[in-house]
Amino acid sequence: MRVATQSIVMAILCAYTMFAAGPFVWAAMLSLRTTSEIHLDHFALPDPMHWDKYPDAWFNSNYSIYFMNSLQVVVGAVILVTLIGAMAAHCLARYRFRLNRIIYFVLFSTIIFPPQVTIISLFQILVGYGLYNSKLGLMLVYVAIQLPLTVYILESFFARIPADLFDAARMDGYSDWAIFWRVALPVAMPAVTTTVILNFILLWNEFLFAVVLITDEANRTLPLGIQRFIGDTQEDIGMIATGLMIAIIPVIVVYAFFSEKLIQGMTAGAVK
Amino acid sequence: MAVVTLNGLTKRYDRAHPAAAEDVDLEVADGEFMVLLGPSGCGKTTTLRMIAGLESITSGTLSIDGRVVNDVPARDRDIAMVFQSYALYPHMSVRDNMAFGLRRRQMPRAEIEQRVRDAAEILGLSTLMDRKPHALSGGQRQRVALGRAIVRDPKVFLFDEPLSNLDAALRVSTRSEIAALHRRLQATMIYVTHDQVEAMTLGSRICIMNAGRIAQVGRPMDVYRMPADTFVAGFLGNPPMNLIPATVTDAPGGRELRFGPNRVEVPAARTAPLEAGSAVTLGLRPEHLAPALDASDSAALWGEVVTVEPLGAETLVRVHLPEIADPVIVRAPGESEVAIGDRIGIRLDPSAAHVFHADGHSMTAAHHQARRG
Ligand SMILES: Nc1ncnc2c1ncn2[C@@H]1O[C@H](COP(=O)(O)OP(=O)(O)O)[C@@H](O)[C@H]1O
Ligand SMILES: [Mg+2]
Repeated sequence: MRVATQSIVMAILCAYTMFAAGPFVWAAMLSLRTTSEIHLDHFALPDPMHWDKYPDAWFNSNYSIYFMNSLQVVVGAVILVTLIGAMAAHCLARYRFRLNRIIYFVLFSTIIFPPQVTIISLFQILVGYGLYNSKLGLMLVYVAIQLPLTVYILESFFARIPADLFDAARMDGYSDWAIFWRVALPVAMPAVTTTVILNFILLWNEFLFAVVLITDEANRTLPLGIQRFIGDTQEDIGMIATGLMIAIIPVIVVYAFFSEKLIQGMTAGAVK
Repeated sequence: MAVVTLNGLTKRYDRAHPAAAEDVDLEVADGEFMVLLGPSGCGKTTTLRMIAGLESITSGTLSIDGRVVNDVPARDRDIAMVFQSYALYPHMSVRDNMAFGLRRRQMPRAEIEQRVRDAAEILGLSTLMDRKPHALSGGQRQRVALGRAIVRDPKVFLFDEPLSNLDAALRVSTRSEIAALHRRLQATMIYVTHDQVEAMTLGSRICIMNAGRIAQVGRPMDVYRMPADTFVAGFLGNPPMNLIPATVTDAPGGRELRFGPNRVEVPAARTAPLEAGSAVTLGLRPEHLAPALDASDSAALWGEVVTVEPLGAETLVRVHLPEIADPVIVRAPGESEVAIGDRIGIRLDPSAAHVFHADGHSMTAAHHQARRG
């Protein structure tokens, strides 16, 4: 009976894993094959393995530039959104002041707007401030779009930290500022890590804002770089796959590094 | 070492509700162990938190060593507090939990280590120093919370129901450890509890609170012997004092109290200010009552046994008196052979009877001038 149940569960999990990981494995195989090989047989195994496509993409197709741009914009945005988001969440969760819930609600309600609604006005604003077509401008936009979700996740976690903990730290002689850094933030680490991974992955793959707000070759991020292989008349499928794999690697690294914390954060129902 | 003075201290959280603590006047002497005792919701924690500086003071003044500290932030009051939930920092080891308060005071490293080691020694925590709180038992967490207060060597220690999350056996042993700690440190301590056994055993004095106000302050046995009003009489003692509504009447020998067919003679001085016919409350402690052994005994009261609770050393007998709603509790010897439904007599010592005015305050205590401030 139990064996039967387990094998059903296993079968479902296997099917789902194939469904979820299949395209990824396929793209990995494509990344090692040339476009002409791919046109002969879409699903063949890479033989021979064209490892040289990776350095080719990196050095001859400006991938090193896109990669560094992505890294700068995304890491900067994630650091900023984490800091601002954590401080805001801490305040909203812990301090009683007028308009507290209203600020929280207004901030959170911006989640319902699809990005297409705001993009034109954002474009205007960035042009107005001379931030159009700059990495800093894109970074600030990324901070703004990810802030509501970040505050939402962190606020609910901060609110669950027992108030006695902060009172104890006050009795121990610490200021509110020090309490945030030395008690609230460390205790909320699992939730903070969750938002870091979430924001990193979302922003690393972000395309819409990047394509509208960046035109300069020198400021392109990775998702835009991949797009460059899609020409007007032909697509270099093989190189697109290679570029995709290069782009995915940092996401996997971040995820592997933080995944244990991520699970902790998602399951951390009770703060002890 | 410090004197803590509360002068008309009042806390009102919001206008819609009555004050959580109202007009609290209390002076805690240097080195004293003051216990704030009262039922849940009576304002003990609120009062303690105002002393700590964690809660703003609505009106009144709070002074430490004569200096008004109403507007001094918690971190500058040099007070340590042990919380009911222990409030240990979950991300720090036992050592860091204890040292956290010292680090901020720019104390030399060696001295911090010394103090933490000494406190750990006293509390038997030396082998647990590198553990995180989640890897400790309830009793051990409690000790870390105590240790965090001790290392600070503060002017005043505050405790908010520190034993309420421990099991019964641990509660008794920790209670005596806290008493030993007070003897050793000779520091001013203010201790909040709703447990009268803790209050009676620990307190140099106890302050009983009711609905945000102080009902009575005094040494534990004084308060027990001379409760200032019916609230204190009914709260202190286990089982509590029997409170029986009665009427003052003139009798040939002096004054007596009547309730139903029963009458009790009480010392004349206790009812002197009252006119005949006044309603009063008669207070009789269960230990001052005894079952009459045989029918020939000249028992004062007669009634029917409702429940019998043998506890070993003693037996609690509840007796229904005619025309009185609540049964009277009698503390009988453990060997008593009383059965439910028996009609028994109750002997009492009139000189141990308390008389309370219709407004609740004690005629007995007023007579003895025993109210303490
Ligand atoms: N932060 C608060 N806001 C509003 N009311 C409160 C707050 N804290 C306590 N109270 C109210 O004040 C009263 C006294 O509470 P408290 O001091 O915690 O009592 P105790 O510690 O004696 O059980 C209660 O009626 C409680 O509901
Ligand atoms: Mg309380």
